[in-house]
Amino acid sequence: MAMENLAFLIPLLPALAFVLTFFLGKKLPSGGAIIPIIAIAISCVISLSITAGLLANPGHVVTQSVHWFAILNLGILIDPLAAVMLSMVSFVSLLIHIYAVGYMSHDPAKPRYFAETALFTAAMLGLILSDNILQLFVCWELVGLSSYLLIGFWFHKPGAASAAKKAFLTTRIGDVMFLAGIVLLFADIFAILEGKLPEGVYLLQFEEIFKFIPDLVAINSTILGMEVSHLTLVTLLFFGGAVGKSGQFPLHVWLPDAMEGPTTVSALIHAATMVTAGVYLVARTFPMFLAAPGTLMVVAMLGAFTALFAATMGIVMNDLKRVLAFSTISQLGYMVLGLGLGAVIGAEAVGVSMFHLINHAFFKALLFLCAGSVIHAVGTHDMRQLGGVGKVMPITFATMTAAALALAGFGIPGTSIGFSGFLSKDPIIEGAYVFATQTGNWIPYLFAISAAFLTSLYIFRLIFMTFTGKPRSDYGGHESPSSMTIPLATLGVFAVIFGALTRGKFMTFIESNFEHLDMNALAELGGYHLGPHGHEPLLILWMPLIVAVAGLVIAYLIYNKRVIDMSRIVSSENPVYKLLYNRYYQHQIFVEIFSVKIIYEGLALASFYSDKMLDWLVNGTSTFLIEAGDSLRKFQTGVIQDYAAAVVAGVGLLVILVKLIMEVF
Amino acid sequence: MIPLNWYLALSAIVFSIGLYGLMTHKNGIRMLMCVELMLNSANINLVAFSSYNDDMTGQVFALFSIAIAAAEAAIGFAILMSIYRMRDMIDVDKLNILRW
Repeated sequence: MAMENLAFLIPLLPALAFVLTFFLGKKLPSGGAIIPIIAIAISCVISLSITAGLLANPGHVVTQSVHWFAILNLGILIDPLAAVMLSMVSFVSLLIHIYAVGYMSHDPAKPRYFAETALFTAAMLGLILSDNILQLFVCWELVGLSSYLLIGFWFHKPGAASAAKKAFLTTRIGDVMFLAGIVLLFADIFAILEGKLPEGVYLLQFEEIFKFIPDLVAINSTILGMEVSHLTLVTLLFFGGAVGKSGQFPLHVWLPDAMEGPTTVSALIHAATMVTAGVYLVARTFPMFLAAPGTLMVVAMLGAFTALFAATMGIVMNDLKRVLAFSTISQLGYMVLGLGLGAVIGAEAVGVSMFHLINHAFFKALLFLCAGSVIHAVGTHDMRQLGGVGKVMPITFATMTAAALALAGFGIPGTSIGFSGFLSKDPIIEGAYVFATQTGNWIPYLFAISAAFLTSLYIFRLIFMTFTGKPRSDYGGHESPSSMTIPLATLGVFAVIFGALTRGKFMTFIESNFEHLDMNALAELGGYHLGPHGHEPLLILWMPLIVAVAGLVIAYLIYNKRVIDMSRIVSSENPVYKLLYNRYYQHQIFVEIFSVKIIYEGLALASFYSDKMLDWLVNGTSTFLIEAGDSLRKFQTGVIQDYAAAVVAGVGLLVILVKLIMEVF
Repeated sequence: MIPLNWYLALSAIVFSIGLYGLMTHKNGIRMLMCVELMLNSANINLVAFSSYNDDMTGQVFALFSIAIAAAEAAIGFAILMSIYRMRDMIDVDKLNILRW
């Protein structure tokens, strides 16, 4: 099929758009937005047609590869996993680019904005269709760079500049772990092959790496007295990269601050696409994780913890975008939890996690764009100053409510009726239940179900505080232009029906990605068995809906009817509120205690002693030289005859010396 | 023909006179003249060796040396002139501001 041969154009067109917009954007109307829009539209069409082809024939994977150097290549691998990601990213990116034409219309730096988002899209698409881990890493760094540039888009604001730095440095910790993982993996493969590299094989391709899993399990190292297989180490390091990129605890601190960038950037990069790169990395290398149950346990626990931890902070934030930022971290926690359940539900874990990833991309991008629409019209982020916006912005209100229902997970258990978030979040929670019954570890389930309750609470708090009631300040709102409402409506439709339309089909499609690998054999390498699991009790099936409704009712009573007096709870005297409002004092812990107290003061102490030593050396040298100079400069009398006498004496001495030497030899 | 040694002796005498003058006088112009004497003693040597070795190189070299001496004398006198204008004297002993 002709479209498959064009696969290489998917990342190249946005990259070309980046160059064109960057240099020519100023001369074109609306900052040259048309170039990236056309480029991404073509990428989207190619991605969708390849996905359609794969849907008809899942075994027909698209591969392209060119030799780079030595045993490395640049290549494209579009299997079902990559295909759905490609379609989602290019589609959401396209809608957000169209929306940005309206949203950024007042900004003078539009060409730079559109160039950078085009660069981001190119890097993200390149990341998704990489067929080897090194190319993925290169694109991984590129999306990090674009994220940095776009968070700091309004770099003249000190908040944005420092948020950009924070994001870059925090994700760097993860990136270094990821790189260390690649290096360790490569060194191990080299050792396994005993230095004899086979001809014509690119060793860092995913398919090649998976062949080495049994050998990697066999290599052991002792770390802190524990025997750890190198596969566990490599997967843990990869997961470290995912933790940084996908904002998992404890490297999530950059994501709320990243909201300093334009709202469209938050929607595109920090909600729908880039932050899911970590989840995608784990899904991509899932066979390795499957054979490392220790890592999977870490993945599950950290995901569940992050889901709950971020949700608790989401309920007290007063900034529209920050609520959504914590919601993103929480939902990413669900996806990571879903992957971590692989030890129990096998390849299905990737299916549920990716399903949630795609649905989340639609409804979270929608939530951000709605928030952007409100901010664009009203000019404030602070929910305490809003209220009653629903009357002036009906389309935004309707779409945001749809997105909120999707996020909170409303639907009828056991059927395909429900908002997209319901159909994807429930399988994860049910998976956590199966995990609990099989391993006796109830923590992931309890965390996940509590987080589901809090999710519903914070998102409806946001809806009620922003859109209903009476305005709490003077603002002149108006509905946004059609270039903004059309993407909203489109995403709204997807947020409502995408899950219901594709449920089941989607999961089997993703699971077909790993059909050629023997999941049970991989599990046995990890020392456990993948067994069939039965149906969950009725209560467990209904539990997520019950907590979601409970969250909605409580939010309604507090923030709409105001039957519960909040002033008691929301006060600086309530220690729980204070703890949550200050985000568990993470900033204080990270910056004031860790950076300032330990590192800075430790350095100060160390430098005190090293200074003394250095001072002694430096001052001693200079004192010696000054005093030597003081006594030596007396030779310079300034009298010409003295110099002439010295020259004559010198020449005379030289003559005598030459004469002596001639006589001796 | 006058032996080579005589020329060398003459050259050594002229050089010594020049050196003596350079070391004992304080007047800038006298010192410059003494330097010229020393330079010319070297020229005598060059010409003498050239003549005895039947090699014209030495004489050509002496011509260059004379030309350079002329240029050097011009610069030297110019410096002495400007010193004289500034200080009304050319006593080299007192021109010691560049020392320590």
